[in-house]
Amino acid sequence: MGRPDLNRRHLLATAGGLAVAGSLAFAALGTGADALASGADTRVRYWNLFSGGDGANMIAMLDAFRKEHPGIDVKDSTLQWGNPFYTKLAMAAAGNHAPELGVMHMGRVAGFSPGRLLDPWDEDLLAKYGVRKADYNPALWNRGVIDGKLYALPLDVHVQLCFYRKDVLKKADLLGDDGRMIQVTSTDDWFDVLKKAKTVQKKGLQTIGLWTNDQNFQWWFFVAFYTQLGGTWFDDGDTEVLFDVDKATQVLEFFRKHVTDGYVIPGAPTGEQFINGAPFTWEGNWSVPVFSGAKLDYGATPLPPVFGKQATHAESHSFVLPHQAGRGGATNETAHELAAYVVTHAVQWAAGGHIPAYTPTLSTAAYKKLTPQNEYVSAMYHQATEPKVWFAGSTGVLAQDLGPLVVSSTMGSAKPAAVARTMKNHLTRLLASKNPMDGRTAAQGGAAA
Amino acid sequence: MTTSAETVIAPARTRTATATATATVRRNQGFQHGGWFVAPFLALFALFVVWPLLRGVYLSLTDANISGDGANFIGLDNYREALHDRAMWDALGHSAYFTLLVVPCITVLAFLLAMLAHHIERGKWLWRLCFFAPFLLPSTVAGNMWQWLFTQGIGLFNETFGLTTPWLTDKSYAMLAIVIETLWWTVGFSFLLYLAALQGIPDHLYEAAKLDGANAWHRTVHITLPMLRHITGLVIALQALASLQLFDQAVVMMDFGPGPELSTRSFVQYTLEQGFTSYRVGYASAMSVIFFVIIAAVALARMALLRNREEGTR
Repeated sequence: MGRPDLNRRHLLATAGGLAVAGSLAFAALGTGADALASGADTRVRYWNLFSGGDGANMIAMLDAFRKEHPGIDVKDSTLQWGNPFYTKLAMAAAGNHAPELGVMHMGRVAGFSPGRLLDPWDEDLLAKYGVRKADYNPALWNRGVIDGKLYALPLDVHVQLCFYRKDVLKKADLLGDDGRMIQVTSTDDWFDVLKKAKTVQKKGLQTIGLWTNDQNFQWWFFVAFYTQLGGTWFDDGDTEVLFDVDKATQVLEFFRKHVTDGYVIPGAPTGEQFINGAPFTWEGNWSVPVFSGAKLDYGATPLPPVFGKQATHAESHSFVLPHQAGRGGATNETAHELAAYVVTHAVQWAAGGHIPAYTPTLSTAAYKKLTPQNEYVSAMYHQATEPKVWFAGSTGVLAQDLGPLVVSSTMGSAKPAAVARTMKNHLTRLLASKNPMDGRTAAQGGAAA
Repeated sequence: MTTSAETVIAPARTRTATATATATVRRNQGFQHGGWFVAPFLALFALFVVWPLLRGVYLSLTDANISGDGANFIGLDNYREALHDRAMWDALGHSAYFTLLVVPCITVLAFLLAMLAHHIERGKWLWRLCFFAPFLLPSTVAGNMWQWLFTQGIGLFNETFGLTTPWLTDKSYAMLAIVIETLWWTVGFSFLLYLAALQGIPDHLYEAAKLDGANAWHRTVHITLPMLRHITGLVIALQALASLQLFDQAVVMMDFGPGPELSTRSFVQYTLEQGFTSYRVGYASAMSVIFFVIIAAVALARMALLRNREEGTR
């Protein structure tokens, strides 16, 4: 009776063993086949977070690169925008499975443990492929420099804009001779403009879209106007909070007034309302393809300088080299080549509304022809950015912490002055907190160097 | 109990020694075979449940970050910080609020739907299918669907009921929106439990009641409800434990954000944010342990309550 039992067991064991061995063999074949398919090519894996119109533009640029460089195999992966992307990139870099090339928001670089999760760019290699510091706005370039090394190569600047409908503003006599919106230099001017626009606009729509319920947009707008007032965040050594509660209150009251004066319908979808005839909306420049696609007669300026000084919120998409233990050689050089190619061929990218960071692009005839891009290109030189500390950056800890506070003031759940004080308390706590990646505070981190 | 068992075993001892020996061998062999059969499960259980649990407790005592290296032992600092973290208590409050809204609603609704499906004569299968089908959807599908339904200006929900409520963008409504979605999505499970229990109530009870002149209302109150008491306890307990762990439908409906003015950020979501957005794996682990204790307390309280009640009815 024992024999057949044993045989069956042997059979099972053998079958199991074969299955395991077989799958391993197939796996090996798989990688082999992959390698064979690309021949002697150099493979660059590239992770980005671009979907929608941006995604299509990026893929078009990659395809152009592939056509010109048949020997290079670009393997691009598009991942979900925002925190899921950064989590994946961090874990891949920590586990030594990082791609050769990645995209990040500039503001996130300081908190992304440059040196450990990110490798620095070789500026000589970049120069070989045509990208030099001299081709950039120095302030922008320096945002990517940490401890004297370049960790983020800027691709673009993306800014918050005031979109306006020319057809509506014309009726209210709010367009200048050049066909663009008249200049606004104070909050009184601004509310005057809104009042006039409201009298001629389609009924049932809001006058302006402010993303009153969105913690990201409200935070970005806050950074813009707080910077217009000359507000600062921390001292140079990141040891002291210089946040000005009075200035912050002024900004928060300005936002709130849009709601209390009835220019905003809280929660209304801003883009749709604009397309349907609402005179204004404040939006990221990435909405340009959406509004152009809807064939609207519209313009876009940087957020109005209602506090006297030009400044609009700006972030940058930048290329980074996620940390690889064995970075170097041909794949690393190819990563430099690809990034340099995309940066220097960014007219296509500008069609998505972004301002190319590589300044020679801005003076090309092709770029100058783009509307409304040519109307807000000046925003490149009036950037309001978050402080350069580890907890800042697009959808970072700072934005997640303070964004909801701004919303609570704009929506009327809390008084502006009280919210401004709470913001200062939060900033104090954040400044004292340690970066979990290296256990150092912003003052000890030296990331602002 | 013991005495009667011994009297049964006693004669067996008088049997031959060989028989006892064979039995022992067989029992040992049986154990060994059984052990091998359970081994794959035990290995996976140890690898994916026991080990992560122990590792989580260890990490909660360190300042570990997401990269996995350079963690220092910091004792109970994370727990101390968590207990003073207002955002954590707020998040726990949101989870508790959600639970308080969902559990009673789902219990009553599941019972009513089960009664309906049980007593309706025509198209029984259709009713059962309709009530249960949403439960089979993945949370992402259900969440996305309701996000569209609730969208202001173009959503079907407001359109149907002639409302202009900003369901997803106002902090007074956001949690209600998630509650409504959860009711629709998960009521099917409790409905099924009730339906099975209803079918298990013997008909003769109703017949006897009818003969005694009890009307439908009396039969429901005095027969159906008492007969369903145990299942109601089970439904409440399962729903409470599931609702406290609110996460997926909420983040899907809020585009992975914490909702308007943080109003729908649940405990689980805040833990995830700390671990994977702020990269504080040690701190997030400490919060997980705290949450584990809370959930375990609720489960134990329920067991204690049940035991008391059973003893009371005896």
